[in-house]
Amino acid sequence: MTVERIEKVFLILAGAMLVVFLLALFYSAFGMGMHLPDREGEIVPTEVRNTPPFDNPGVREVEPGRYEVVVLGRAWAFEPDEIRVPAGAEIDFISTATDVIHGFHVEGTRMNAMLIPGQITRMTYVFDEPGEHLIICHEFCGLGHHLMYGRVIVE
Amino acid sequence: MTASGAPVSFGGTDRDQARHERLSRIWAPPPGVLGFFTAVNHRAVGLRFMVTAFVFFLLAGALAVAMRLQLTLPLLEVLSAEAYNQAFTMHGSVMMFLFVVPFVEGLAIYLVPLMIGAREMAFPRLNAFGYWVFLVAGISLFVAYLSGGAPDSGWYNYPPLTSRAFRPGTGIDFWVTMITFLEVSALVAAVEIVVTILKHRAPGLTLSRLPIFVWAMLATALMIIFAMPALVLTSLMLGLDRWTGTHFFNAAGGGDPFLWQHLFWFFGHPDVYIMLLPAIGVVSMIIPAFVRRALAGYTLVVVSIVIIALLSFGVWVHHMYTVGLAMVGLNFFAAASMMITIPSAIQIFAWITTIWNGRMERISTPMLYALGFIVLFIMGGITGIMIAAVPFNWQVHDTHFIVAHFHYTLIGGVVFPIFAAIYFWFPKFTGRMLDDRLGRWQFWLFVIGFNVTFLLMHVTGLEGMPRRVYTYFPGLGWDVWNVISTVGALVMGLSVLILLWNVVQSWRSGAAAGPDPWGAESLEWATTSPPANYNFLDVPIVRSRSPLWSVGPGSKQGALDDSEARPPWLDELAETPEPLRENIVTSVLTAEPEGRVVLPGPSPWPFWLAMALSVAFLGAVWTLLLVPVGLALAFVALVGWHWPARSGRRPEEHEAATEEAPTDSAPDATEDEGER
Repeated sequence: MTVERIEKVFLILAGAMLVVFLLALFYSAFGMGMHLPDREGEIVPTEVRNTPPFDNPGVREVEPGRYEVVVLGRAWAFEPDEIRVPAGAEIDFISTATDVIHGFHVEGTRMNAMLIPGQITRMTYVFDEPGEHLIICHEFCGLGHHLMYGRVIVE
Repeated sequence: MTASGAPVSFGGTDRDQARHERLSRIWAPPPGVLGFFTAVNHRAVGLRFMVTAFVFFLLAGALAVAMRLQLTLPLLEVLSAEAYNQAFTMHGSVMMFLFVVPFVEGLAIYLVPLMIGAREMAFPRLNAFGYWVFLVAGISLFVAYLSGGAPDSGWYNYPPLTSRAFRPGTGIDFWVTMITFLEVSALVAAVEIVVTILKHRAPGLTLSRLPIFVWAMLATALMIIFAMPALVLTSLMLGLDRWTGTHFFNAAGGGDPFLWQHLFWFFGHPDVYIMLLPAIGVVSMIIPAFVRRALAGYTLVVVSIVIIALLSFGVWVHHMYTVGLAMVGLNFFAAASMMITIPSAIQIFAWITTIWNGRMERISTPMLYALGFIVLFIMGGITGIMIAAVPFNWQVHDTHFIVAHFHYTLIGGVVFPIFAAIYFWFPKFTGRMLDDRLGRWQFWLFVIGFNVTFLLMHVTGLEGMPRRVYTYFPGLGWDVWNVISTVGALVMGLSVLILLWNVVQSWRSGAAAGPDPWGAESLEWATTSPPANYNFLDVPIVRSRSPLWSVGPGSKQGALDDSEARPPWLDELAETPEPLRENIVTSVLTAEPEGRVVLPGPSPWPFWLAMALSVAFLGAVWTLLLVPVGLALAFVALVGWHWPARSGRRPEEHEAATEEAPTDSAPDATEDEGER
C-alpha cells in the first residue's frame, strides 16, 4: 500500500495533536487539579432555609485568606444577588436551589454549575483581579428566567 | 395514491400484461373515503408520514420565526414571556419528535421495500397503526394550545420545574402523554423496518450489497428499539409523579431530579444519531448517482454507521457536565464523545473520495443539498468536538453557542439531507420532477439564511447570551448580532415557502419523470414512477452492489433480467396461486429464497386501535378514569385485528416452504410448512 507523502504528514500531525490533547487533559485534571463542581451532600429542599449554612446566605471569612460564600438559587433570583469578595483569596461557593433547577454561571470564570434541589454543590475559585462578574442562570426555570441575574464584585 | 393502470415499463409481453393486471388488482388500494382509513400499503403510509411530518415542520418553523422576531431587539414585546416559553418548548419538541424522526421513518417505509425489491413491508397493518398514532399524538400536542397553554418547560422538561407544584396546568400533561404515545409509533415503525430489511430482500441482495440508506435505516431502527423505551419509561414516571403523587423526581420525597436527566439523555443523545444516520444514508445514495460512481469505501462506511450507533449510547452525560459528577466518569464520556468523530470523519472522506474519483456531469438541487450538507456538517462537527471537551463545555453550557452548534448538526446535518431526499425521490413518489430552477433559488436562500442566522449565534454564545431567555437587556454586546440573526431566519422562512410552492406546483403539473430520472444505481429506480401497486412485476435478482449499473450506468439489464440465467423456480415462488398479497421471504445474511408469506390487505382495525389508545392516553390528561375505557376499546379493536380472515384460512397455511430453492433446480411442489 502506497501512502502519499502529504497524507503521511497529515496522519502524523493528526496523531501528534491527539497525543497533545490527551496529555493536556490529564495535566489539567491531575497536574493542575482542576475540579468540576462537586456534589457536596444532600439536603431536603423544603427545609433549606432551616438548614445551616443555608439559613444565612452570604459571604463569611472562615479563616484568614479563605472565604465561604453561601448562595441560594430560587425563582427568580440569587440570594445574595450581590457577592463582594476580595481578590486573591480562596473562595468556596456552597450552593443549592430551593425550588426548581437553576444555573449558576459566573461570567469570565470557569465556575458553572447546575443548582439542583436536594443537592449541595461546592466550587472553589480564586479571583486574581478586582472587577465585576455577571452571574447568569442558564437553566430554564420558568417565566422570570431571563431576569435571574446576580453579580460578583471582586475588590 | 398510485396510478393503478400505469403501463408496464419493462417486458411488455402478453404474459407480463396479464400478470400486471392480476397483480394490480390484488394490490389495488381500497377505494373511497373509507378506503383512506383502511389503506395499509407501505407507499401510502410512507407518503402520509412524510406529508404530515412536513406540515409539523412548517408549524415548528413558524414558531422559530416568532422566537427570532422576539429576540431581534432587547426588551421587545412581540411575544409574551409565556408565549415565548411555549414557543421554544414546542419548537424543539415538534422538530425532534414530530418532524425529523417521523419524516425519515416515512422515507424508509416508502423506500426500503423498493430498494430491497419487496412488494410490501413485513407488517402492513402495524405500519398503518403507527401512522394513526403519530397523527393523533402530533395533533394533540397542538391541541394543548387551546386547552390552557402548551407545554412551556423546554423540550427536555427537567423536573422539578415540570412537577405538579410548579406547573399545575395541563401543558406538561399533554407533553408527557403525547410523547409516550408517539414513541409507540416510532417503535412499531422500527420493528417493521428491521424485520423487512432482514427477511424480505430480493434474492441475491446479500447484506454486503445492501444500499447504504437501507443499512443506515437498519442501524437507526435498532437504535430506536433501544433508546425510545428509556423515554417512554421516564415520561411515564413523570406522569405518575404528576397524577398520582409518586416521588420519582421529587427530592423532598426522597426522589432525585437527576434521574430524569440520566434517563432523558440516555434517550436524547442516541436520538441525535437516530436523526443523523438516515441523513448519512440519504447522502450516500445521492452522491453516487450524480458523480456516476459507486460509493468509495462501502464497507468502511457501513462499519462506521454501526460504530456510531453503538458509541451514541455512551455519550449522554455530555449534556450534564455542570451537574456535579465524578471526573473519571466525565472523562469517559468526553472521550466517547470525541471518538464518535472518527467514524463520522470516515464517512466524510468516503463522500469526498467518491466525488473526487467521479465525474460530475451536472449539479442538480439534490446534489447541491448533499454538498451543502458535507460543508455544514463538518462545521457542526467541529464545534461538537469543542464542546465535547469538558472545560470548554463548561464555559458555553446553555449559551447560544450550543444553539448554534446543534442547529449546524440538525439543520446542516439532517434538514439539508431531508431536503435533498425530497428533491431526489419526489420523482419516484409522484412521477413528476421538482422544478430545478426554483430548487436552486431555494437552496441558496436556505444556505445564506441559515448561516446568517446561526453562524452569528456562535458569537453571541461566546459573549455569554444564555439560551431560552425571553428577552435581554441592552448594552450586553448582543444587540447587533441578534438583529442580523433575525434577518437570516426570515430568509430561511422565505426559502421554505419556495420549497412548499415548488412541491405543490410540481405535484400538480411538474415535468414527467420517467422511471429513473437520475440514472441512479439502486432498485427503486427499476420500477415505474410512481411505482405500480405491486412495486415490481418480476422479483428482481441482485448480482451486485449497484444493480442498475451492472451492465453500465443507466442500464436496467442487470437487475431485472429475464434471460436464461433467471432460475425458473423463482417465478413460481413469486407467482401467487390465489389472489392474495404475498412477499418473498429470504434468508437474513445471504438473501437466499426461503418461501413466501401472505400479507394482510386493507383493514379498518389499525385506525380503530389507534383511536382507542388515543382515548386512553389523551384521557389521562384530564382523568385517569378514561384510561381503562380506552384500554377496553383497544381490546375490542385487537379482537377484530386478530379475527381470522373471512375465507376461513389462516394466512400461514399459504406459506410455501421451498427449502431447496437456492439450488438451481425447480422445487417439486409447494410443501406446506404446517401450522406454526
